[in-house]
Amino acid sequence: MQNLKTELPKEAKVKMRTKFSSPCKIRNFKILPSTNQKAKELALRGALPWTVIVAEKQTGGYGRKRTAWFSPRGGLYFSIILPRSKIEDLQTLTIISAFIVAKTIKENFSLEPLIKLPNDVLINSRKVCGILTENVIGKEVKSSVIGIGLNTNIEKFPKDLEDSATSLKIELGREVDNKKILEQIVKGLKEQLKTISE
Amino acid sequence: MKIKIKDKVYEVEIYELGEEKVKIIVNGKEFIFGETVEEREKISAAPLTIPKRSFTKKEIKAPIAGTISKIFIKEGEFVKKDQKILILSSMKMENEIVSDFEGKVKEILVKENQNVKEEETLIVLT
Repeated sequence: MQNLKTELPKEAKVKMRTKFSSPCKIRNFKILPSTNQKAKELALRGALPWTVIVAEKQTGGYGRKRTAWFSPRGGLYFSIILPRSKIEDLQTLTIISAFIVAKTIKENFSLEPLIKLPNDVLINSRKVCGILTENVIGKEVKSSVIGIGLNTNIEKFPKDLEDSATSLKIELGREVDNKKILEQIVKGLKEQLKTISE
Repeated sequence: MKIKIKDKVYEVEIYELGEEKVKIIVNGKEFIFGETVEEREKISAAPLTIPKRSFTKKEIKAPIAGTISKIFIKEGEFVKKDQKILILSSMKMENEIVSDFEGKVKEILVKENQNVKEEETLIVLT
């Protein structure tokens, strides 16, 4: 399968322990069509909650209604397999995830992000982050993944996006540490889901 | 204003800042939104649980209110248990609704882009 060929060796899988409970398993991929798609596949095949799928580049990244998400190398694209939760907790988590992304940006870089409810984060009126939660529901919630596309080290956007999108690199004039940002966001999400679910 | 989620109570204060911006303070933490209060009220009105379903009828119901964004089946088609039936968009989440049963699609009661209420019957199987 195309996706499996792009997966890094096992050594590249990193375990990250957050403040609360079980470790997150981070699975890094060089390239994927979509981290959400991969996370959904893995969730249905029994992957554990808090498995995080990260891609350096997406060839078919998407947002709501399958609108394309510009995903060149440099950006931070990841999806998290969530524990089975009630629908209302997932809705809350989608909104809270925008807070967490905004908080991470504000605390690390002294930028002023604005949350556009419920799932976009803007800087200087331009989109820097998009969030998409996807659930599979039968008689109960079977799986949930939350995907986050954060424009971190993207130097330039195509003409049709340059008025509506920005990146941390464009705003700061320097590169940022994708790994550090990823860890902070995942840790924040985990803490928040614990708060709203327990 | 206090909001209770499960057993945890959140102290929430809401301020309008003009230009469709709203400041919300949750337990002392400040968040600023670019949308209107109405949007937030829609979120507050989100359902609390997935409704209980009748398993005597082979009906697929909306677990939450939302908009049907895509239908994958046709009337007369045989569907398997856990087959993807439609996408229900709600609160900007995309919810893939799969069949609880197997059977033939007797009736599709909704169309794409239609808004549906929680517990509304979407598909009837025989």
